[in-house]
Amino acid sequence: MLKYAAKRIVLGLITVWFIASATFFGMHAVPGDPLTGDKALTPQIRANLEAKYGLDKPLATQYWIYLGNIAQGDFGISYTQENRRVNDIIREHFPVSATLGILAIVFAGVGGVLWGALTALYRNRWPDVAIMFLVILGISVPSFVMAAISQWSLVNLNQTAGGTVLPIGGWGSVWHMVTPALVLGLSTMAYLTRLMRSSMLEVVNTDYVRTARAKGVPATQIFSRHQLRNAILPVITVLGPAIAGITTGGFVVEIVFAIPGLGRYFVQAIQQLDYTVIMGTTVFYGAFLVFMVILVDLIYGLIDPRVRVDQ
Amino acid sequence: MSATDLTQADFAALPRQHSADQLSRPSLSYWADAWRRLRANPRAMSSLGLILALLAFVTVGPMVWTVDPSVQDVDHIGISPGADRQVTLTTPFIPWEPEALTPPTPSTGNPLGFTLAQSATTQSVRLTWADQDSPRRLYRNLFAPEDTGSFGLPLADLDTPYFEDRLDLQPETYYYTLVALDAAGEESETTATLTIDVTRVISIAQAQERGLIQPDESAEIGQTLKLAWHPLGTDYLGRDMLARLMYGGQVSLFIGLLAPLAFVFLGVIYGSVAGFLGGPVDQAMMRFADFVVALPFLLFMILFKVVFGIGPGESGILPMLAAMIILLWPAPARLVRGQILQIREEAYVSASKLLGATTPYVVGRHMLPNTLGVILVTITFQVPSAIFTEAFLSFIGMGVAPPTPSWGAMCNEGIKSMLTRPHELLFPAMMISATVLAFNLLGDGLRDALDARMRGAE
Amino acid sequence: MTHSTDNSAGSTVGAPITGEQPTPRQPLLRVDDLHVDFQTYGGVVQAVRGVSFEVAAGQTLAIVGESGCGKSVTVQSLMGLIPMPPGRIHKGTATLRGHDILASKFVGGQDIRGREISMIFQDPMTSLNPTMTIGRQIAETLEVHRGYSQSQAFNRAVELLEMSKIPEAAKRAKQYPFEFSGGMLQRAMIAMAIACEPAILVADEPTTALDVTIQAQILDLLGDLQQETGMAIILITHDLGVVARMADDVMVMYAGEVVERGSVDDIFYRSGHPYTQGLRLAMPSNKRAEDGGAEQTLLAIDGSPPDLFNPPTGCAYHPRCPHAMNVCAQQAPAQYGLGSTSASNQGLSHQAACWLHHELCAAQKDQP
Repeated sequence: MLKYAAKRIVLGLITVWFIASATFFGMHAVPGDPLTGDKALTPQIRANLEAKYGLDKPLATQYWIYLGNIAQGDFGISYTQENRRVNDIIREHFPVSATLGILAIVFAGVGGVLWGALTALYRNRWPDVAIMFLVILGISVPSFVMAAISQWSLVNLNQTAGGTVLPIGGWGSVWHMVTPALVLGLSTMAYLTRLMRSSMLEVVNTDYVRTARAKGVPATQIFSRHQLRNAILPVITVLGPAIAGITTGGFVVEIVFAIPGLGRYFVQAIQQLDYTVIMGTTVFYGAFLVFMVILVDLIYGLIDPRVRVDQ
Repeated sequence: MSATDLTQADFAALPRQHSADQLSRPSLSYWADAWRRLRANPRAMSSLGLILALLAFVTVGPMVWTVDPSVQDVDHIGISPGADRQVTLTTPFIPWEPEALTPPTPSTGNPLGFTLAQSATTQSVRLTWADQDSPRRLYRNLFAPEDTGSFGLPLADLDTPYFEDRLDLQPETYYYTLVALDAAGEESETTATLTIDVTRVISIAQAQERGLIQPDESAEIGQTLKLAWHPLGTDYLGRDMLARLMYGGQVSLFIGLLAPLAFVFLGVIYGSVAGFLGGPVDQAMMRFADFVVALPFLLFMILFKVVFGIGPGESGILPMLAAMIILLWPAPARLVRGQILQIREEAYVSASKLLGATTPYVVGRHMLPNTLGVILVTITFQVPSAIFTEAFLSFIGMGVAPPTPSWGAMCNEGIKSMLTRPHELLFPAMMISATVLAFNLLGDGLRDALDARMRGAE
Repeated sequence: MTHSTDNSAGSTVGAPITGEQPTPRQPLLRVDDLHVDFQTYGGVVQAVRGVSFEVAAGQTLAIVGESGCGKSVTVQSLMGLIPMPPGRIHKGTATLRGHDILASKFVGGQDIRGREISMIFQDPMTSLNPTMTIGRQIAETLEVHRGYSQSQAFNRAVELLEMSKIPEAAKRAKQYPFEFSGGMLQRAMIAMAIACEPAILVADEPTTALDVTIQAQILDLLGDLQQETGMAIILITHDLGVVARMADDVMVMYAGEVVERGSVDDIFYRSGHPYTQGLRLAMPSNKRAEDGGAEQTLLAIDGSPPDLFNPPTGCAYHPRCPHAMNVCAQQAPAQYGLGSTSASNQGLSHQAACWLHHELCAAQKDQP
């Protein structure tokens, strides 16, 4: 197990390096010097940036400086806001996005496994039909539409109730997290439900479940030990990429619900072409996703012994 | 079973029938069998029908509904479908002289004497009320104050007992509320609300200008004409929704269909080479694919947009396509590679080689046809993903540039006026959802139809 | 480890169910006129059409037949492994020590599966949970039926693995199924099946997926365990060699019906049904024809098994039978007793369902 983990981590570090390099060379492929572009930079910012990045030096040197900075966890200074360090921006806003994302994943994961197992066990009966209908809605309605509709329903709900049942935006209390997390996790939950359903249907008909029945194992134990444990494997496999989807979906939800997360900041930076923030946030998000995928792989290795013993 | 009824004749030998080995059904080729299975699946068939209908909508539609999607119909800013399109001819705008009027007198039902001075048209709404001892504040709302609990938009604080409203008047029902202010300037409890229906009017000159009346036609004041028909309403700039949906659909479906075809094709080539070669080459190729997967999609979108030098007025389709193709090929590559690795070990491949088949023959005749099913299903499932991606990018402003419409961009614009004009969001969202749903269901159906053989008849 | 047949006063966990005690005349398990069919969208498949048999303690009953003849469905319906929406037992009874086991698999509040009657399957690689260690899977039976603690059960599991002649049992118990070879996995399955000392072990083609040398070892293991515990074995197979080696009694099935039954000697030396004879003649032999072995050419039975959506009228075997007569196509034959000549009275009496034994016919034909 240790070897498996170590291998994954080393691979992850190389991936992060790759992302950082791709980002660096990508940004420098932009024609013209980002500094002398349309943005009118104050002399203060200009001086800071030149000092920091050695912008007059050859590209290779800049690259080393850049890598060095990143290895120390320093993402630089914002272009558009004087003396605002990207690190501070990330530190301030990322926890918000992370909380939202974790809630959404938990919601999607637990819901997906639960509903998927239910539809498989009650195949073709009413729970199956009802859940699959909701699933189809979940996968076909775009996330921003879902977010907008939920906001509109909240407005109506609050009006009819005569007060604020649930806040329609902003951040601060547990109640502020409920609707955005639900909306964010919804499409992933629908996707996981479908996956769990087909996986469960396969597992239910396997020989080892038949053996467990022949052993007289009670139904609840068959469900938890034999069926669930094996059916959940494909779901965990896709959890890594699903986290990536939740991250991008988070941008939308943060914008619509006016949540002060890193995603909203990132989108603003894109629209304002604040290069250092864009680069820093990108590398940060990239590294974060790599780390999450490693984590998921390790969890998978804990459950399925076949991967850790052979490799 | 009455054994007693049997005679010796019953025990004579039975003549042989050789019917045991006859085939009961004609044998079908893989594709014919898959198509038959697909045909029997009602959800898949209706999805296919829906997709064909959508394709017809965006290709044939503009030839039938020949309205230009970028033309602004100023009479019809943001109207909902089925809105009234009558317009009455009237004289050009005549300035009001309210000082000459006698202020109305307050009555018991109307203590502020708040009344409409002349018939309300889109040219102006003229209000007057009884002489006042303290300032009055005038509000206007599209919704009744007792329903929303709000008076609405404050128009002005007035010392004179009259007001002419010319602010963005639509042929709607407006609720004007007059509030008396007390000595301290705070709002008092004395209010009056009028419900006013505004009639749409234009002058004859304007009508002639816009081609509603031909130069030689006679026109009279008070005559009603019908304005251009917008079956699905218009957006916030007065552009016809139906036309925008059609042209937007062209963009969305173009990206949604072309991008997956392209990157799946790329992935297939990469994956089959990797799977076929196997060994360390395969490992290296897959490592590279993993790296590409880790690259952040959004960043590259931006990069491409900047690199391609997209200025205002140019649509952003090309960078979006490029980004999708360059970043999304690893998933199909991995899938095809897995299939090839599996097929390589199958007995029929060994048998074929033993019979002397050359490598290109084995690849072309045995391996590729058996992966086509998986490839087809992959493409079908990637289409909704690509459409969502385009919609998402347009939503955050990184998609196609205005005025080029796309369903995602239309949703983006529609969200801003969701509460007042829901149709602007509803129609493009429904289009996206219908397309995504149809492709998802079709993908399900295809997978069931094609996999059945692969997994052994279920 | 002897199989206890004492009646305990109170029913303790793990004690065998009380009921009739098997005597030489009273069988342990009795199945009577079992009919099982499946409702499918293509029609009704009649998988089992009137099967009756008995199993006595300490005896091995072999059920022989081609693929699709209904042998697996028969035993699986006894074990409650047939999903009952499409499947349906629409006729027949089955009793274990006098208790009806078709209505419910719970006797005296305890599930008999895994406790009184256990089953092992054909493909051990797919029949074991890939994400649980072998030891835990064996221990599971003991925890469920005997209330052992986890460590108690695990230790016992290691002992059982040793009894199944698996080397390094303690290390193996902590491993996963994919780390075992086919033969060892089958031993592990056997260990799991006998954990609670069942009265009957059902083995559904346990050696079909294994090669011949391993096959011999597994069969030996089963025989040894039977000697030690006195359990009955129901062995399903299509291989007559296995039957010859293991069985005391044999039941031959075709198209969901029992066409012949009897002791193993009856079946091999005095078979009374053309199908049984066909099976016997189809067995390859390594003796040359001159030395009393079979012919050099491999003999097969013409034709293919019947379509169970639409079984043939009369005797199901008649389209393929070399001795078919008119009556065979019209009416299904009754079971004709063929006079058991086995020394002990414990075996099944020899019966064959064939019109050839009707009085009107016996005069005409010779015995093959």
